[in-house]
Formats: sequence, C-alpha cells, structure tokens
Amino acid sequence: MHRRGVGLAAFDRQEQSQRSFAELSSALSQSQVDHLHLQLNQFRTSLAHFATTHRNSIKNDPSFRYAFQQMCSSIGVDPLAGPRKGGWWAELLGLGDWQYELGVQIIDVCVSTRERNGGLIEMSELIRLVSKLRGVSEGAITEDDIVRSVKTLQPLGAGYQIVEIGGTKMVRSVMKQLDEDQTVILSIAQEEGGRVIEDMLIHRKGWTRDRARAALENMLLRDGLCWLDEQDERSGRAYWIPSAMQWDL
Amino acid sequence: MALSTQTITTGFLLPSIHSAPPFFTQQPNPSTQSIATEQWVRLILTYARHRKLFVLRVEDTETGGSDWGEILRNERINRKVLPSHLSSILEAMVAKNVAAYDPPKQTRSVLLYWRLPEEWADVLHEWATSTGQLNTILTFYDITDPPIESPLSNIPVPLLRKAIAILVKSGRAQSIGVADGEGVRFFTPSR
Repeated sequence: MHRRGVGLAAFDRQEQSQRSFAELSSALSQSQVDHLHLQLNQFRTSLAHFATTHRNSIKNDPSFRYAFQQMCSSIGVDPLAGPRKGGWWAELLGLGDWQYELGVQIIDVCVSTRERNGGLIEMSELIRLVSKLRGVSEGAITEDDIVRSVKTLQPLGAGYQIVEIGGTKMVRSVMKQLDEDQTVILSIAQEEGGRVIEDMLIHRKGWTRDRARAALENMLLRDGLCWLDEQDERSGRAYWIPSAMQWDL
Repeated sequence: MALSTQTITTGFLLPSIHSAPPFFTQQPNPSTQSIATEQWVRLILTYARHRKLFVLRVEDTETGGSDWGEILRNERINRKVLPSHLSSILEAMVAKNVAAYDPPKQTRSVLLYWRLPEEWADVLHEWATSTGQLNTILTFYDITDPPIESPLSNIPVPLLRKAIAILVKSGRAQSIGVADGEGVRFFTPSR
C-alpha cells in the first residue's frame, strides 16, 4: 500500500485520481455499450437478412415456422408475440401481424359458430374453418399456431382459452365453467358425432338415470350447449352437442 | 358425421343445418330456439323465392309431396317438422313482417313476403312501364296471368292488392272498378 500524502496537495491528488478513474470507467462502459450496439446491429442485420430471405417460408410452411420459433425462443426472443412498442423485429418480419391476424380469424370463427356450439369448438374444427377462411389448404395452420394466437388474445379478457376434454383439445370462447359431468358428456358427444342420450351415460359411465337427465337438461336449458331432438328413432329424446358435430360452413 | 350442404332435385342448395336432426325439433331453450327459428325463416324465404312459392300452410307438414316436402322433411335422416313447430315459425315470420296471415284472422296459412309489398309495388310499376302499359286499364287477371310470363305471374291477389295500394298512395296508380272485377291503371308519377 502506498503512503498517503499529507497536507493540502493530498486532497488535490485524491480528487485527481478519482476523476481519472471515473473517466476510465465511463470510457470502458462506453466501449462496452458500443460493442453491444455493434453486436445488436449485427444481430439485427442477420435477423433481417434471415427474415427477408425466409419470410415466405416462415409464413407459409408450418414446420419451418415451428423450427424458427424454437430457434428464437432458445435465444430469448419471440418474434411471433406480436408487435409491441419498438418491436422492430415484429414489424420487420410482419409476423406479429400474422399472429394477430390469425387471432382475429379465430375470434371470427368462434363468434360466428358460437350460436350453434355454445362457445366451445373443437381444435381440428377450428383449424379447418380458419384454414377455409384464409383460403389455405389444411395443414398450413397448425395446432401450435392456434395455441400461440389464443395466448395473444388473453389480454382481451374475453375468456378465450384452450381446454382439454376427453383427450381432445377445444377452444372455449365464453366465460363458462364446465362442471365435471358436462366434461364427461362432451367427451361422449365427441365419440358419437355429437349425439348423446341418457342410456350412454348410464351404461358407460354408471350414472343413475336422474343424474344423466339432470346433467343433460342443464346443458340444454340452462347453458344452451346442446340442442334437443325429439324424433330420435331409438330413445325418442336425444341431445346434440353442436361443438362435437362437424359442420360445413 | 359431417353435416354438409345438399343440392336437391329443384336445384336448391340446402344449408348444412338441414341435415342436423335436432333442427326438426322445437327447442326448449329460448335463445337456441330463436337461432333455430332464424335459420328456418331464412331457409323458407330463400326456398320460396327459388320456387316462386307464395303460400305456406301448417298442413304442408302433413301432406306428403307438397311443394314444401323437401324443406319440411329430410328423408335422409328421417326427420320432419311437426305442425306445432311450423305454426310457431309462421308466428315468428308474421311478427318479423316477412309474412302475413292470409286470409286474416286465422293462423294456419301465411302469405310469404320474400319480396316486401313495397318491393312488389316497384316491380309492378316497372313491369307496366317496360311493357308499355302505362295509362291503360288492366284487370288483375292481366297482371297475374299475362301472355308473356312476368315476375308477377301467379302473384296472389291479396299481395297484388297490397302492392297496388302502395302505388295508389304514391300517385303511381289508380284503382278502377271494371265489369268483371277489379282493375288498375298505372301512370308515371306526377311531380
């Protein structure tokens, strides 16, 4: 340790050295910032380059899009999360728009089919209808895309949510809690192309007739989740769940 | 089971909901029922326009092979509209002013307005103008059964009367009593 100076000159000297330390440190951090800017610029240019060369593949090829998303998430950016303020990459890629556009189309399909399916639509059906709306062949939009888009819809607070019923993913567009019995009924409806009768619940699930009837009538009268068919050949009273039926628009 | 649209013998395209079994049952849930009724109203009007049908009766559900058979029944899924169901659909149509009970004071039969009386009035006046029959006296028969088929061929007299009344009100026609019934004279509206 060096000897501390004494007297007035020591104050000057100390001040002097502090100043030069500060200068050095700011010069250092400046060069770090510059370096970072340089790197960022490089990253930006290469991402821009990548985006412009592969933009169409990203938009149109689902497997490529998936791979691109994987790559981006591993480096901690999410180009599909949509344009935020200053989201230059989203603008650059036009992908945020893509995702939002898909979101709007999901809402479109959900809302326009809500009357008949009570606000619950099967994933594959949704994909089919959205594809039809976009005029692209099926397979151009994947389940993964829908899941991401539905996530971007969450801030709307409209209750868009993905639920799994009987191993099938469904998109729910109404704030409605399904109880356990309704979940069971929905999964049976999916196996049966939409048609559910009391006997199915009694024989397959061991429910009592009262329970089966109460659950079905609740869905019919209280929730508007199913339609009644009084001309059913076998049971005379069948319940049809539109969200489990396949519709051609 | 996929529900798809069907083109039937008369060339009419049935909507996919027509192959859904519950569509033929009156729904106990009011909001579901109003959706179903709306679909029925639209279907009935487009079909009526397609086949130029003017009248729908509750009995049409029961008489097989009527003009309405392929709408009120679906043989492929063995479903049909029941009379009480059709009756409530007719009621909804009258309430929406897309049909009127005819004759009045009963609820078994309606006149369908796939064109509103106001629209028929325009069609009527246009027809008289384009066929050079302004200022001549025409009987109702001349209009409903013209030598050259017109958009007004077979228009029911009550509907024709409504259309003429509208034209009279706007100064485009004058009702005239003729020897064998009713007649009308059209003219260009005086400004």
